[in-house]
Amino acid sequence: MSDENGDAIVAKGLTKRYGAITAVDHVNFRVPSGSVFGLLGPNGAGKTTIIKVLTGLSDMTEGKARVAGYDVRKEPMHVKERIGWVAAEVILDDDLSGWENLWLQAKLQRLSGWTARAEQLLEYFELSDRRKDKVGKYSTGMRKKMEIALALLHQPSIIFMDEPTIGLDPNVRRMLWKLITGVNREFGVTVLLTSHYIEEADSLCDRVAIIDHGKFVATGTPSELKSRVRADFIELETKDEVSEERLRAVPGVSEVRSQGKAWILKVSSAEDVLPGLFAALKGDVIRRINVEKPSLESVFIDITGKRMDQAGGGDVQDFRKFYMQVRRARQ
Amino acid sequence: MSGETKVAALPSVHAVRHGSAWVPQGSQFSGLYLREIIKTFRNPFVIVITIAQPFMWLAFFGSSFGNVGNSAFFDQTVLHAPVGTTFIQFLLPGVLSTSMLSIGMFGSMSTIQDKRFGFMKRVLITPTSKATVYLTKTLGSATRGLVQIPVMLVAAWAFGVPFLGGVLDWLGFILGLTLLGVGFSAFFLAMTASSTDWQTPGVISNFITMPLMFASGALFPASNYPSWMQLIANYNPVGYASLLGRQVVVYGSFDWTYLGYLAVFAAAMLILGTAVASRYLKVE
Ligand SMILES: Nc1ncnc2c1ncn2[C@@H]1O[C@H](COP(=O)(O)OP(=O)(O)O)[C@@H](O)[C@H]1O
Ligand SMILES: [Mg+2]
Repeated sequence: MSDENGDAIVAKGLTKRYGAITAVDHVNFRVPSGSVFGLLGPNGAGKTTIIKVLTGLSDMTEGKARVAGYDVRKEPMHVKERIGWVAAEVILDDDLSGWENLWLQAKLQRLSGWTARAEQLLEYFELSDRRKDKVGKYSTGMRKKMEIALALLHQPSIIFMDEPTIGLDPNVRRMLWKLITGVNREFGVTVLLTSHYIEEADSLCDRVAIIDHGKFVATGTPSELKSRVRADFIELETKDEVSEERLRAVPGVSEVRSQGKAWILKVSSAEDVLPGLFAALKGDVIRRINVEKPSLESVFIDITGKRMDQAGGGDVQDFRKFYMQVRRARQ
Repeated sequence: MSGETKVAALPSVHAVRHGSAWVPQGSQFSGLYLREIIKTFRNPFVIVITIAQPFMWLAFFGSSFGNVGNSAFFDQTVLHAPVGTTFIQFLLPGVLSTSMLSIGMFGSMSTIQDKRFGFMKRVLITPTSKATVYLTKTLGSATRGLVQIPVMLVAAWAFGVPFLGGVLDWLGFILGLTLLGVGFSAFFLAMTASSTDWQTPGVISNFITMPLMFASGALFPASNYPSWMQLIANYNPVGYASLLGRQVVVYGSFDWTYLGYLAVFAAAMLILGTAVASRYLKVE
């Protein structure tokens, strides 16, 4: 289901305020039917809020959105019949078995004759032999797969995935990446996913919107975005303070920004600049140096002047915070 | 990951419907109500607690006058009942009615759990209305409450309560209790619709149980009360259910007025509660 011009999602001036906080700030975008669209941004950028507003879970403060051919504000129930949702924190009824979770989803989506499709989904996600077990006993990866199966049961035209691989170990993450691509291709489902993992957005998405403080700062295909930055970034941390002028004086350095104790240098080409930089820093002890070749990360650095993980609070911290939230919720 | 297994495309489940924003709720309703029932019976602890409380009232409080023996004075002056009525017999309808007061508490707690675990989001991201969620939680609570009735009746029989009144009178009394349970569950769930705090249901339960239990005539006849307590008792649905039950248990007769009052109470609470929950039910 989509609009006449083939867009699964059209958002115009989408805005959500929580009191004084503007979580989503006049965002405009379109997602063509059948594509994978990514919202990439640090923690607190407003990614989850965009999903909540588009799915009708929370009311938008301003703006307009059409999802699966229906106006989210005027006909939220019809939107909800046509979308699937995979939560960041994996939400299932742990007291029910896998099959019972599917049954409940079928009831909530008013499906008849759903069992054959449910069987096929279980088969596809390799959960058939555990269907009678309570999902509380599933492993994290299995729970995630179960959630995707639920999201697909009613043949939605769009599936929303919020941070699909947050907190998963690398193996499960790779398995999920394949799965998401598979779901998109084999089921023909439009996917809107959010992520703060650069590689994830880069490898999965047809188009990516980079979001910071509730605003889209760049939109395009991953390669378009990367080609936009014709520069490398060098991140540098030294033992004693180095003056900005000294760094600016190094040939090939076009911009110098500070980020905490470290410096971020925008340079024409790291290979050409590094020898000159080392020469200039002869007397200083280098604690850390990191070269960022054109990537979605360097697009983010270029626009916002900070690394994505720095902006959000860091990967490790973020992971810990996420699990603390989940645990708190369960107490 | 078995890439070979493809899922056959089924004909689209939902036909396009333009113009109406409403989606029928029957399927969602039965699904969510059954979920309540399934979860209740997987967690028998809740049922045990629900039954233990009125049982202990009957056993301990009901035996408090055990040594009075067959006293005409006690029956006439204290219970205002015919000579030969035992205290347990007098108390049974009151205890059953009182036990309907707090059955909404477990429903409230499970609703708050659904909000905190995010399950409410999973439900409300489907074409399910907040009213449907509220009504299934309310009926789920009431159903849990009704489980205690047969158990209590067996207990009463074991304590030697004579079963006066016909089968229809008893069914009428059970219907009255059902209406009382639905009404109070509806009230309870509406009160906690916007809450996400585990403690709220307990606080509300403590707050309403005491006054409504004591100012109801459930434990002693209201005619012994001071006038301000009688005033509360006159409007207290627990009192009406107790009186309805006492007519059956002590006199073997039936009073339709009480049943009518309970029906009005249940209907009013359901209507008000649905309006409140449609607006204020929090998602998380
Ligand atoms: N229910 C809420 N009440 C108040 N503020 C909120 C609420 N939900 C999100 N926010 C705020 O909105 C901003 C965006 O949050 P969110 O969409 O969760 O970000 P992301 O998913 O990108 O990490 C944050 O500043 C967050 O604190
Ligand atoms: Mg988020």
